Amino acid sequence: MWAFYNGRTQARGKREGREAKSHGGYSKKKLNPMAHRLLVRRIWTLSVKDLRCLPASTSSFSTSLRSSTTPLSLLSPKRTLPRSLPHTSHREVSFNVQDHEDFTERVINSELPVLIDFHAQWCGPCKILGPRLEKAVAKQKGKVAMAKVDIDDHTDLAIEYGVSAVPTVIAMRGGDVIDQFVGIKDDEALDSFVSKLVGQ
Amino acid sequence: MAALCRVRHRWKRINCIQLLTRNLTGTFDYDLVVIGGGSGGLACSKEAAQLGQKVAVLDYVEPSVKGTKWGIGGTCVNVGCIPKKLMHQAALLGTALKDAQKYGWQIPGPISHDWSTMAEAVQNHVRSLNWGHRVQLQDKEVKYLNVKGSLLDEHTVKGLTRTGKEIMLTAKNIVIATGGRPKYPTHIPGAVEHGITSDDIFWLKESPGKTLVVGASYVALECAGFLTGIGLETTVMVRSIPLRGFDQQMAGLVTDYMEAYGTKFSWRSVPKSVDKLSSGVLQVTWTDEQTGKDQRDTFDSVLWAVGRAPETKTLGLEKVGVKLNKESGKILVAADESTSVPNVYAFGDIGEGRPELTPTAIKAGKLLARRLAGQTNELMNYDNVATTVFTPLEYGCVGLSEEEAESRHGKDSIEVYHAFYKPLEFTVAERDASQCYIKVVCKQGGDQRILGLHFTGPNAGEVTQGFAMGFQCGATLTHLKETVGIHPTCAEELTKVNVSKRSGLDATVTGC
Repeated sequence: MWAFYNGRTQARGKREGREAKSHGGYSKKKLNPMAHRLLVRRIWTLSVKDLRCLPASTSSFSTSLRSSTTPLSLLSPKRTLPRSLPHTSHREVSFNVQDHEDFTERVINSELPVLIDFHAQWCGPCKILGPRLEKAVAKQKGKVAMAKVDIDDHTDLAIEYGVSAVPTVIAMRGGDVIDQFVGIKDDEALDSFVSKLVGQ
Repeated sequence: MAALCRVRHRWKRINCIQLLTRNLTGTFDYDLVVIGGGSGGLACSKEAAQLGQKVAVLDYVEPSVKGTKWGIGGTCVNVGCIPKKLMHQAALLGTALKDAQKYGWQIPGPISHDWSTMAEAVQNHVRSLNWGHRVQLQDKEVKYLNVKGSLLDEHTVKGLTRTGKEIMLTAKNIVIATGGRPKYPTHIPGAVEHGITSDDIFWLKESPGKTLVVGASYVALECAGFLTGIGLETTVMVRSIPLRGFDQQMAGLVTDYMEAYGTKFSWRSVPKSVDKLSSGVLQVTWTDEQTGKDQRDTFDSVLWAVGRAPETKTLGLEKVGVKLNKESGKILVAADESTSVPNVYAFGDIGEGRPELTPTAIKAGKLLARRLAGQTNELMNYDNVATTVFTPLEYGCVGLSEEEAESRHGKDSIEVYHAFYKPLEFTVAERDASQCYIKVVCKQGGDQRILGLHFTGPNAGEVTQGFAMGFQCGATLTHLKETVGIHPTCAEELTKVNVSKRSGLDATVTGC
């Protein structure tokens, strides 16, 4: 039985080595493009005024930055746009990611460790894992947050994080990916995964 | 940085581009830029990347008039083959449910169909395919850009993002695989405002209701077919003949079955206008060309299936010198998919004279990529391509129609074998099999080479595929007769065909 929907039915091979083992531990094989992209994003986030042209990167996020006329505008969101969700990440334990900026603010820059749930409308197993994740996160009583990313709405983001099959759950702390898994886990395994992220 | 790029001076642009991307080839940003992320474009770009080329694919969907848009994958994945076949399946299942009772299934109460359930499931599957393509591109290291591409010169492509920003790419070779979009009959008042096309039908959230399908192409018949099958009152408005270009005897069988199945046909009719009434329904006025009188009726939806136009208008082709066919607007291509401009190639639906099919686009794309990478000289063989029309009674064929064979070889030089058969499954279900038919058009003399093979019946696509291979190998009637059939199947009837049209004998197959 398929525990997840694999987006790549044909292109297997090299990616298989990178898919996380369910017992945890993200295997870093070659120079990890994902880590590179994360680093790039964080440098960009931090050095707002630095208009240094980035070296060629396969990140679509970087491309979109370069093609904009005012890179600054991406980082300082228009203050006039009302936000229906609070800025501070510690108020919302479980939320849907709205866009790249939202992701940067509430996930990468989150004070709390974050579980990122990459899911899709068309993915049956995601519908099973979703509630289980919410339950596991709720048990932590505010010590961990959960960011939900619909990969159809945020395809670039999902691709950037190396998601190929859904559900993929990434555990992030301080902007670093510390663990991930693909597919469904039962409640016990989830609790253990989340506890590890929280650092218990 | 894009502002800098808009400056026309080549040296500034090249400098800028060099800043933007790694310059492996020494001169260009990419070895290959493919404009169009459909069946052809994706196959070509992935193959090229696998062969070590630096590739970018540009895909952009201009929303339909009604505002429908979709993800990567092109027509086939989003508004063609895939959703069509799934909805066709939905309709067939409805028929199967009716048959089921005869087979002993106790089905309580009347069966009804819910459009929203089907549409959501189909749309979700399509989205999973969009995702799959994105992952594949990523895996194969093809750069994907969601921009509307156009040519500035034979080595430069301009990309326009959704928000209007411009990016420039230079490439050693450029491939155009932008396909086509449905045509609107703009001369008919109300057509554009009130009608929809195949771009929209598969993405409707709610049932189209009582529908008028204008056209008699396979798009029109297939759509009308599944709409009827799921229980909607459907009318097909035909100006002249159904399935132009296909064997007309077979086309007649297809439409006969549809009429018996419940689809209404308005033959020799030309729509005049579409008005929206205060109740929200659409009132269509048309001319019955046989009587010369005008007729009128109301529908919930009007689906235009009156042809497809190539996506060439916004490509900047004229300026660059890429020649088009004046009538069709398609790009003139040579056997190796090259255009009138060196280093610019075009294939798929956009190519003049090319079949508008996914498998040919995929194969042509892969071969083109291999040729551009210097791996092969093999050209795409567009002959002997099998196809299937997925109408309620499916029609599969490979090779020439009877009329085409007659025209090429002369009526006296061909022999047509045929048979009316009844699928076993129809017997218990008490279904009418009058249109289940096989026709094998052969060249007279010797072993009688097969020129064309035609089959109407259930699973026509599955049946025809195997025979297409035989056809590709130059099968003769002798080969066919030497093949032992698998029993009990519909396909086996092809191996048993022996009554010629010329003999005038009854071609109805009796039981085994």
